[in-house]
Amino acid sequence: MLKIILLSLLVTSIYAYEQESKLKVLIIGKVAKYISWQKTDQDRFIITILKNNDGDLFQNIYKNRKIKHKPVVIKYIDNINQLQDTDILYISPLNNQQIPYILKKLQTENNIFTISDIRGFAEKGGMMQIYFASQRAKIKINLTQTTDKKFKIKSSLLRIADVLRGSSLYE
Amino acid sequence: MNKILSFTLLTFLASSFLQADDDIFDESLEDLMSIETELKADVGSRTGSTDILNSHSPVDVITHQQIEHSGFTSLSDILRYFISGFNAPETSIADGSDHVRTFTLRGMSPDQTLVLLNGKRVHTSSLLNVNATIGRGSSNVDLDTIIPSSIERVEILRDGAAAQYGSDAIAGVINIILKGANHKNSFNIHYGERKKGDGKKSISDIFFTKALKYDGFFNLSLQIKSQEKTDRSGIDQRIEPASHTTDVGLSDATNILATINTEIAQFNNFIFYSNSTFNYRDSQASTFFRPSTNNENTSLLYPEGFLPMLNAEILDYALTTGVNGEFENEIFWDLSNRYGYNQIKYYLNNSMNYSLGADSPTSFYNGSLSFTQNTTNFDMKKNFNALHIATGLEYRYELYTIDQGDEASFINGGSEGFPGYSDKSDINADRDSYAIYFDTTYIFNRNSSLEGAIRYENYSDFGETTNLKIASDYKIIQNLLIRTSISTGFRAPSLAQSNYSNIATFSGISSGTFQPESDIAQEFGAEKLKAETSQHFTLGFVTQITKNSYITLDYFLTDVDNKIMLSDEQTLTSQQQEKYNINKVSYFTNAIDTRTYGFDIKMGNKFQFANNNSLDISFWYNYNKNKIIDFNDNNMNRVNSFEQVDRVENGQPKHNIRVLSKYEQNKFIYQLNFNGFSQYAQVIDNKRYWFDKELLTDIDISYKITKKSTFSIGSNNIFNIMPNRWDNLSATPTNPYYGYNGIKPYSRYSPFGYSGAYYYFNINIKF
Repeated sequence: MLKIILLSLLVTSIYAYEQESKLKVLIIGKVAKYISWQKTDQDRFIITILKNNDGDLFQNIYKNRKIKHKPVVIKYIDNINQLQDTDILYISPLNNQQIPYILKKLQTENNIFTISDIRGFAEKGGMMQIYFASQRAKIKINLTQTTDKKFKIKSSLLRIADVLRGSSLYE
Repeated sequence: MNKILSFTLLTFLASSFLQADDDIFDESLEDLMSIETELKADVGSRTGSTDILNSHSPVDVITHQQIEHSGFTSLSDILRYFISGFNAPETSIADGSDHVRTFTLRGMSPDQTLVLLNGKRVHTSSLLNVNATIGRGSSNVDLDTIIPSSIERVEILRDGAAAQYGSDAIAGVINIILKGANHKNSFNIHYGERKKGDGKKSISDIFFTKALKYDGFFNLSLQIKSQEKTDRSGIDQRIEPASHTTDVGLSDATNILATINTEIAQFNNFIFYSNSTFNYRDSQASTFFRPSTNNENTSLLYPEGFLPMLNAEILDYALTTGVNGEFENEIFWDLSNRYGYNQIKYYLNNSMNYSLGADSPTSFYNGSLSFTQNTTNFDMKKNFNALHIATGLEYRYELYTIDQGDEASFINGGSEGFPGYSDKSDINADRDSYAIYFDTTYIFNRNSSLEGAIRYENYSDFGETTNLKIASDYKIIQNLLIRTSISTGFRAPSLAQSNYSNIATFSGISSGTFQPESDIAQEFGAEKLKAETSQHFTLGFVTQITKNSYITLDYFLTDVDNKIMLSDEQTLTSQQQEKYNINKVSYFTNAIDTRTYGFDIKMGNKFQFANNNSLDISFWYNYNKNKIIDFNDNNMNRVNSFEQVDRVENGQPKHNIRVLSKYEQNKFIYQLNFNGFSQYAQVIDNKRYWFDKELLTDIDISYKITKKSTFSIGSNNIFNIMPNRWDNLSATPTNPYYGYNGIKPYSRYSPFGYSGAYYYFNINIKF
């Protein structure tokens, strides 16, 4: 029996454990497929990272990649006031204390899809929150926020996400 | 077997050089969300959670999914099932030790493992094991006060960590993390019994969860557990005709448990949190039968003899409250307080006090033990890019109490089976301590990091101590990590060890345990207890052949100086007997220096098949050797203290193997597990008796009736393996207790008990 078990351990398998940070970065790009932005005349797909906490992970993963048939550009900023044109704004956990200020600044922006893994982000007025439970990535979407900002989200994404509805909790 | 192990290890290591990282960029979102992420643990470093396969020190994690499918219903059994080198014997006829399960890690003392709940120190039981059991002379945390279904994961740090967590973290640290957000309500019914038809166990538990704002939650778990006794006694040769008189096996116990865990998050990032555990246990176990020939007064109340039954009423509860948040400069802070209380009240039924003759009561209140611990912590941590710093302060207050029992339970030898605590034992002893610690991790690059920790503590009873730890990891190549740590540690003498006293009478001989600072103990050379001190070294390798298969190999060495033990019973001279009115005396003493070393080999692999079936296999071999390297007490040596010495060195298996396999196929989950224990020994009348190595098999089959309901059947020790009986030890009418034909035919050291196969079914409904 022991021989069988030990030998079976030598078989190469296809299943994989992944690091949370890598999965998060991949999911941030992958959700774009399910979201419709208002303007589509931009020839690049821009992901802006506010206070990068993931080293060169974004650059490595999206180098020479396309999202929505557009080449991906990764931008890093350290202050929300530096924000320029972007499709997705990823707000890292390093911004935890500034969330009220950041979300207030973004109230006037209409075409930026906000994503974060900060606790309570979706309920605080963010659009999409990524979190990990039982070793799996999960998504929480604040449908009120995304609808207010005229984003259309495919039902296939809403089916696999926790969806928050009702008035914005951020005030 | 050694050849197979060597071959497998070498092949694993060789193949690790050949594996390439696969790309999952093109996977669908659904597939990405179904991929398992790395297992992380909070324990091991105070600067943040770590991936257990990239940690400085060996850390293991048992997940709630593993706990749910294990078929085991107590945390002690769950840890014994998953952790090779974790031992939790089921003792019987050992007074209070029958009612509070002891446990050891790597064969070391039960009080040399620190237990945390959500990262906060858990109070120990008030029970001090004073009988000849594994863990004699120590108090341990009662793991069975926590409901398994309330647990998110259990993290086990297999390394000394007193420089990070303080006293007791010598053999390792067990950190129990309660379920948080994102779980479902569930209801669970479990029923099982032993092959012999006894030991019926029924458990009902409910887990209720409510999501709160900003990912907060309120979780409540309730459990009612009823365990009937088992009896594996042999015949009693003192009576005619010889027959079974005594219950030898599991105690008869009813438990009511509750666990609450809640986090209330605020918009401004403050999080108020609280957790609470509650356990009321009513447990009853037999002592040895008293035949009518035992004492001339027996027949006054019990013409046929009597079996005293010891009833322990245990109340254990704890409450943690805290708040955490972040300062503007990204410094995370946490302020918490944990209050823990344990009380054991003893009642003795169906007994008598011989000295009271026909007027003796038959039921007694024998007194109580209690222990209170209150710990206040303030912790902070901040990451400066590659430099992660954590620091904190701790203040702890402890109170140990013995309350005397009925006078009839202790006068003139006391109640038969378990004499009560007298007014001389009655005590309220307290102490406090404060500590400050720093823990720093510097991440040089993706391939290496270095951690340093220092902790200063000052105890009001034994003084101050400072401990250090340095740990590092380095990736030699992408899939091969080397890790090492070196540290010092300590264990403060428990208040129970410093203050416990009691007198017991058995077969007309009165023996007393006395405080080390008492006159009688000091006549035998006892001194005020000092802290145990320790030095640790670990060196290990981790290789991840593919992302879901790994091998870890970790060597460990732990030296402990001044380990506290309960001395052997010293016989008093006739003058001393006259002076103190007692025959024998024992006391706690910084008796010995020990060396513990060994290694762990772990392998794991998960296979995902095309039809969505999966197979999960893990293997864990633990070798540990405990050795006494010096004696510090003049009354203790290898000859005089042979029983105690041998219990430390040979009382527990040195080789332990766990092989766990789980196959998931559509609605079925099949589990087949093996637990192997090497031989162990127990000394009776200064002679060592060995007990054979054994391999036990557990099986569990689960069927998902609907998406929300699961039915499981299974068996632990399905082939009804029993430990062998005493080899060449024959009981006699004058010594009827131990022997292959005696009242206790099995050793109480058996690492898997002696109640035999257990068959069960389980229904789980999520709602």
